[in-house]
Amino acid sequence: MAKNMKQLRMLFDAQIKETFRERQVWFWSIMFPVLLLVIFMIIFGGNSDFSAKVAIVGDKSGAAAEAFVQSAEATGVLKIEQDLDLQEAEKRLKDKRLDAVFVLPDSSETGDFGLLLNAEGQTSSTSQALGSIAGQLTAAANQAATGIAPAFDLKTEYVSASNNRLKVSDFLLSGVIALSIAQSGLFGMVGLVEIRRKGLLKRLKMTPVNMRLFGVANVGARFALSIVQVILLTLIGVVAFRANVDFSPLTFLLIFIVGTLAFSGLGYLISAASKTLESYMGISNLVSFIMMFLSGIFIDVNVLPGYLKPVSHVMPLTYFVDGIRGGMIYGSGMNADMWLNLAVLAAWGVVSFILATLLFRRRSASL
Amino acid sequence: MHVLEVSRVSKSFGSVRAVQEVSFAANRGEVFTIIGPNGAGKTTTLEMIEGLQRPDSGAVSVLGMTWDKDAENIKMRIGVQPQSSALFDLLTVEENLALFASFYDRHRPVPEIMELINLTDHRRKLVKTLSGGQKQRLAIGLGLINDPEIIFLDEPTTGLDPQARRNIWDIVLKLRAIGKTTVLTTHYMEEAEQLSDRVCIIDQGRIIAMDTPKALIGRLTQEREIHLKLADEAAAAAAEGAARTEPNVTRVERKGAQLRIRSGKPEATLYHLLGFASESGQTVEQISIREMSLENVFIAFTGKEWRD
Repeated sequence: MAKNMKQLRMLFDAQIKETFRERQVWFWSIMFPVLLLVIFMIIFGGNSDFSAKVAIVGDKSGAAAEAFVQSAEATGVLKIEQDLDLQEAEKRLKDKRLDAVFVLPDSSETGDFGLLLNAEGQTSSTSQALGSIAGQLTAAANQAATGIAPAFDLKTEYVSASNNRLKVSDFLLSGVIALSIAQSGLFGMVGLVEIRRKGLLKRLKMTPVNMRLFGVANVGARFALSIVQVILLTLIGVVAFRANVDFSPLTFLLIFIVGTLAFSGLGYLISAASKTLESYMGISNLVSFIMMFLSGIFIDVNVLPGYLKPVSHVMPLTYFVDGIRGGMIYGSGMNADMWLNLAVLAAWGVVSFILATLLFRRRSASL
Repeated sequence: MHVLEVSRVSKSFGSVRAVQEVSFAANRGEVFTIIGPNGAGKTTTLEMIEGLQRPDSGAVSVLGMTWDKDAENIKMRIGVQPQSSALFDLLTVEENLALFASFYDRHRPVPEIMELINLTDHRRKLVKTLSGGQKQRLAIGLGLINDPEIIFLDEPTTGLDPQARRNIWDIVLKLRAIGKTTVLTTHYMEEAEQLSDRVCIIDQGRIIAMDTPKALIGRLTQEREIHLKLADEAAAAAAEGAARTEPNVTRVERKGAQLRIRSGKPEATLYHLLGFASESGQTVEQISIREMSLENVFIAFTGKEWRD
């Protein structure tokens, strides 16, 4: 027993050193997720302050025109130039010094409100937003002209299950954490392919080493790496990008442990199925890419086309990221959804592990 | 006393009969070498002894134990250096040794092994930064960490430069000096001759000869090859004629001023030729007699050329 403990400690120590002395690990398991997080945060996670420069030209007298201008000022997102004539405004629009020009009608009673946009930007989200703003402003002008208040109004609020308002940055942070744990599980078994290729596995079998302890130590090193990832990414997300976390320790811990094991099992299966390092990396990359886009890491599962949804529903990462989000930003307890996440992950892990072991046995028998 | 007994083991891979009815026994304290060309079945034989391959037929007994019953015990008491130096590349020399030491019930101190394999100065170096010869020495060191009674070295010097090869030889000779049994495979005849107490030559999965290197060479005919170099071609041609009249000579070849003469009684042939040279006033510039080596034994037994 004491001998086993010593052996386990030495094996764990060796695996930790082999893991953290490998430059590839630092790049793919630490640097890459950090970069991914930073890039996505900068692109999507920043303050979504929309603003646009517009000019309002034409006759500003009359109730409707006044209402239009007032409403435009009230949006708070438009920088308005009022003293330009139409020609000057069009010129600035072409030079992109303006995002849009609103043209008021000549008559104060009837006519069209004009919206001029730069043709190059016609598909941009700014143009689309300006179109809808112009629509609202026109409605306001109509109200002023007719004096009829609308019976219905639209109030928009963003609601999330969390106590705090869920921000895109929280969504991204938890997604990248789940992705990086999944990836280190998938790619982490590269060491196993290597020790088989180099003959180290054979060498170990010639010693009285307990191969089960070797496996335990290997998984232990995986966990150490995942813990480093979680801490580092969370710190960067919270400190640099003001992401909010609402940890539910039990849920997070359970999902984290079962998920790490499940993806290690998947990596183990891939390593058992591939003879060379190249095929291992190829298969891992393929699996990881498919999961990255179909599991709701960056893209919400609901926007996927219908025929892809079933694929997403069997992916382990779909359940892992949902679980990590539950335990990390929604503060979910162990509710039915979380148990489902756990069960699916556990099933993936167990099936992968059994298949991998069978494959390994068959291979070493035919050695 | 035999520490290792291999009796009539055979192993086939598909239609390839890698090892056929191989039997031998190693004595305590000797260096026993299995030599043969690439693909002769050396590694397969060794792997059956090391418990990595199960023989199709025949039996292996290591230290009086069999793999079926005493695998764990055998592993505790043997040391192995496989052909590919299988090491933890991102651990240092010292860490590799300490890790392997933890696998055994008892082991020799790590510094002692580092001293033996002459890697004390490199103990804090990562394995991936070591040279081929240093890696090979470490691989041998890992095989020695448990103070084994038998150590198996599978082609320990293949691919090494002459200096690195000598370093490995030194280790093997040290092991013999302290009374370890060493089972070695090689395809270098010179190495087998230098290091071994006994040699077993295998070719195409079969043992073709087994004895001490000296006895094996002694079994060959007394025929030797004499090399002579004369002053010029004309002189060599004259000497060639003289050689052909000498009764012990079996074959003469001339290339320019050089002669290669095979003789069953080299001293008599040489006496005759030198007499001829001094009578006819020729000068002999170089003389040598080539000794027979294990290479000639291989050629004699298989009728094939030996290629390293």
